[in-house]
Amino acid sequence: MKHLLILFLITSLHAQTTTDGFALPQPGKIFAFPRDHGSHPEFRTEWWYVTGHLDAKNGHRFGFQVTFFRQARRENDKIQQLHLAHAALLDAHTGRFLHEERLNRAGWDADSSATTLAVRNGNWSLHLDESTQHLHITATVKNEALLQLELEPIKPLVVFGKNGVSRKGASQTAASHYLTWPRLKTHGTVKLGAAEHAVTGEAWMDHEFSSSQLEAGQVGWDWAALQLKDGREIMVYRMRRKDGSMDAASTLAVVERDGKVRHLASHAFAWEVIGTWKSPRNGAEYPHHVRLRFENESLELKPLAADQEQDGSITRLPYWEGACDVLDSHGQITGRAFLELAGYAGDLSGHLAPQAK
Amino acid sequence: MSTVLLILRRCALRHWRLAFKQQLALMLILALGSSVYLAVRLASNAALSGFETFTDGVTRQPDWTVQALTGSLHEADLLKMRETLGPLPVSLLPVVEETVTPASDKGNGEIGSRATWRLLGVDFIALLNLRGQAPAGLGANMQAMREGIYVSPKLGAKAGEELRLIIDDRIITLKVAGVVPEVPGIPSLPAHLILMDLPEAQAMLQRGDRVDRVEVLAQDTATFPKLREETGHLLKSHWQVRGGTDRRQLAGTMTQAFRLNLTILSLLALLVGGYLIFQALDGVVLRRRNEIGILKSLGVTDRAIQIAFLLEAALLGLCGGSLGVLLGWLGAQAAVGGVTKTMNALYGATSEQRAALSPREALLALSISIFASLIAAWWPARMAARTPPAHMLGNHATPFQGGTVWRVEWIGWAMLLSAVLLAQLPVLRFENGTRLPLAGYAAALLWLVGAGLAASTILRFVAQKKSMSAVWRIALSHLRRPTVRHRFAVAALASAVAMTTGMSVMVASFDHTMRGWIDRTMKADIYISSAGAQSASSTHAITPQTVAELGQEPGVEELAFVQAKTLLWQGGEVLILGTDPVFAHKHDLYAWVQAPQHEKWWQPEDGITPAIMSESWSERFTTHVGDTIDLAGHKVRVVAMNAEYGNERGSLTLPAAVFREWFETDEAWRVALMLKPGTDAETVRNHIEAKQPGLSVFTNAHLRREALRIFRQTFSVTHALEVIGVIVAVVGLGLALTSLLLERRAVLATLHSLGMTRSEIAKSAALEGLGVACAGAFTGIAAGLWLGWLLVYRINKQCFGWTLQFHAVGWHLALLGAAVVATGLLVAALAGRWAALLPAEHTEE
Repeated sequence: MKHLLILFLITSLHAQTTTDGFALPQPGKIFAFPRDHGSHPEFRTEWWYVTGHLDAKNGHRFGFQVTFFRQARRENDKIQQLHLAHAALLDAHTGRFLHEERLNRAGWDADSSATTLAVRNGNWSLHLDESTQHLHITATVKNEALLQLELEPIKPLVVFGKNGVSRKGASQTAASHYLTWPRLKTHGTVKLGAAEHAVTGEAWMDHEFSSSQLEAGQVGWDWAALQLKDGREIMVYRMRRKDGSMDAASTLAVVERDGKVRHLASHAFAWEVIGTWKSPRNGAEYPHHVRLRFENESLELKPLAADQEQDGSITRLPYWEGACDVLDSHGQITGRAFLELAGYAGDLSGHLAPQAK
Repeated sequence: MSTVLLILRRCALRHWRLAFKQQLALMLILALGSSVYLAVRLASNAALSGFETFTDGVTRQPDWTVQALTGSLHEADLLKMRETLGPLPVSLLPVVEETVTPASDKGNGEIGSRATWRLLGVDFIALLNLRGQAPAGLGANMQAMREGIYVSPKLGAKAGEELRLIIDDRIITLKVAGVVPEVPGIPSLPAHLILMDLPEAQAMLQRGDRVDRVEVLAQDTATFPKLREETGHLLKSHWQVRGGTDRRQLAGTMTQAFRLNLTILSLLALLVGGYLIFQALDGVVLRRRNEIGILKSLGVTDRAIQIAFLLEAALLGLCGGSLGVLLGWLGAQAAVGGVTKTMNALYGATSEQRAALSPREALLALSISIFASLIAAWWPARMAARTPPAHMLGNHATPFQGGTVWRVEWIGWAMLLSAVLLAQLPVLRFENGTRLPLAGYAAALLWLVGAGLAASTILRFVAQKKSMSAVWRIALSHLRRPTVRHRFAVAALASAVAMTTGMSVMVASFDHTMRGWIDRTMKADIYISSAGAQSASSTHAITPQTVAELGQEPGVEELAFVQAKTLLWQGGEVLILGTDPVFAHKHDLYAWVQAPQHEKWWQPEDGITPAIMSESWSERFTTHVGDTIDLAGHKVRVVAMNAEYGNERGSLTLPAAVFREWFETDEAWRVALMLKPGTDAETVRNHIEAKQPGLSVFTNAHLRREALRIFRQTFSVTHALEVIGVIVAVVGLGLALTSLLLERRAVLATLHSLGMTRSEIAKSAALEGLGVACAGAFTGIAAGLWLGWLLVYRINKQCFGWTLQFHAVGWHLALLGAAVVATGLLVAALAGRWAALLPAEHTEE
């Protein structure tokens, strides 16, 4: 009974919403599926983020990203839901990086189901076939590439963070609910120009929803998802502060072969920059070649191409999101990864850091 | 070649310097011919481009435009479109569109005198996905969306300013949220296009989730090589789909007949001008015959002389053409207002544009001038080259004979016969109901030229007059044996008068028919439309609430309204009307061309919707009364045909209940009120207009005046061309007489030495001119009556589908004849006075 009372006090002290009325992640949330694969319009921001590596029979290798965002805005007591989406394809053979940004109002041309995983934006879509539990992606990039992929989760869904809440900062609001399929067996087709490639590979999917990703003093983040050949996956993010330091809320999580997750605190891993690339479009300098050190491991993330920058033509928020190889300390390829570098072409806090009630 | 250049420099250019005024006059003639053509062409192009900017929408030219088969598109349709297209990378841009009118523009009470703008509701957020293909700066980004309207900098409004606009029957104040900057390489907003964010526009226009159309962008790439075609094919399964260029073509098609008429008219004016150019160049050869004789005696070859003359003609053509380009451009600036106004009244909102001169048009006008100059110089140059030197040097030279074609009258009669036969050929039909009466126009051309050639017969008939007076006898002797110059002068006059008479008959027939039609169909006391409805294709509507309020007005006994929507049928746009058939039947409002078999035509016999088609519809789509047609998924039986001069696209009238079911709307397009006996229509009109500032209210008399005014405005350009034609022909008569008298100067000197006074010589020349003018006027009027028949019963019917009653106003034609004869006499008298003072020997004038 005493424990129950303490729990009640903690939860009642915990803010439920932001000042403008959006929900905040609550510890102990019990997820129910397929509903929680779907949209949570009570939160300000939500995304379904799929990245992966594909191999064609003819030796062609591709990196891809298909991401659906939902962003709510409150205007004159009305909530307007906007759907942003990004699609990108890297032809590793030529280094050609195609990407496209898209924005639509919620409605006939963009929508996210609140009951299951079914999101779409124009002709791009991601949905879960509940009968097979397979995911299906259709996306095009600038009319020059067409991706039609089927993804099968081969490891269980992971809920990152403590007690169902992934913290991004010390403040109470800088947190999210963060669900991930860390390894999805993928097959389908990639049409690039006149050539259509039958492809197989592995993908990673994040589903995250929050109402405030950053807190005051933070300017951006670096994130990486590694799929190692030994059957483990690693998710790591470092929240960057204005002074260049790594926020204490930064985390590295190891998903073991059996699906169990170990979280390492910020002091337990190191994020070292090996090389940088300067964007010719906006001058942003991205530390796109990095090494991670944790426990006794050293893993180098080597980009397949330097220019994998999404230029943010609509949102004006450019970021670097690219396919990498993972090399061990001997220089041997031990896996594949996706690296995200956000907030190098401008401070993101103005866009993603409202106040709590 | 050096000889040719030497002749050109020493002879031609020397003459240019010595007789500068004459050369200038010649250039002006050439300039006039090409400038009339250019001015008409530029003006109609400018008025049409006003249409195009409206139809462009807000993106680059869309690949397809999708509309519902009938009614509006709902959000569910949009979703279905996206599902139908599957993974294809196609941008779908829903649009609501409405004509609006600035409330501050009160006009002058005439229909079409108030400005018509267009309001487009487009999804500003979705537009952000089309960077580089849509105007820049709309909303800028997701953080900077503001409520209100976005306008072009050309409109002159500033952000934050408020605009009062008439939308449907309401006056609404809208805030200017921003001015869309013009960025090179990116589509910019036309001056009279107003943009609004789609949800806001839908709310303001009370549209719910409905949109008018969806603009589709589907560009082929290597990955999707047949994207455009595939997209069109998929969408056509459920909706009306037309290509982006079709929309532009539609505006072109709508006005095609009008523009074609203008072009043909200007070409006919040029034909008359051609006679004049010939006569002028012939005069040049005549004046230089001594010089040509000397050159030939010195051994210069015939070929060199001919080439030198043709080169000189080309040079003249170039100078005249350049001047023509300038004059044509100036003329176009003056004409564009009138042409635009006419197009506005007839076809819908077009923004007035400046008539811009493109290098292509300038080159065309120059080519026409040079070509006309070379053609006209061909015979005089040939004559100069072939005439022996002795003849050239002698004062009793053989008069110019011209080509065989000008001396054999049967060629003219054969041309007239060919014209009659050609007039029997059917119209050329193209897709979407467009028609080109090519055979009719060819018949008109042949008839004009043929009438000119055959007119010499009349010349001899005129010369049969018996007279004892020496002056008369001398004058008539020339007409009895007409030279080619006489024939030319008569031909030019006859062609110009025929053209004017033909147009006059067509206009009179139209006027006569229209008056009868107005009498039969306009029987209501008051007619009401939205104050913004400034043209036949305006989409301003009157809401059902307003209609109900109008019915409650004191003094109103009966109210009826017409509903209207356009839809695509067989690739072309048609107007569908909805009326209360009981009201129309009760007041006998239809002007039947083919009446229905049953009085209560609106009652379906076998479940198929009955409808009335207009005559234009029948002509355009070759539909007959009794036919069953498939219209937007509905079976419709045509039970009658009515005369409708309001539009040339064709209309189909449905019973009101069917219209409502098809288009899901109760909005009225026009409202008609029948007043209680003894009620003053003017008082009711004033009362309604004061109470409903968003409405235009016309009494019966006022609307009748307006209908006739708009109709007359349509033909204002035609009248200008007629006048130009007659002026050119009369000037030609003067030139022909001058050449004739110049050629006869030795004879004139002899007559003078035999005792004939200068006054008698002048009188004789004037009488000769009078004979030519009479022959030209008579032939012209006679030929013009048949040309009028051709225009009324063939060309007009084939172009517009309207049956007109042939009507010629006698006193109009008599006045025209008298004016031509009087002006001809005056010009001839002046030429005679000048000739009477000519010295016997040639000197440089």
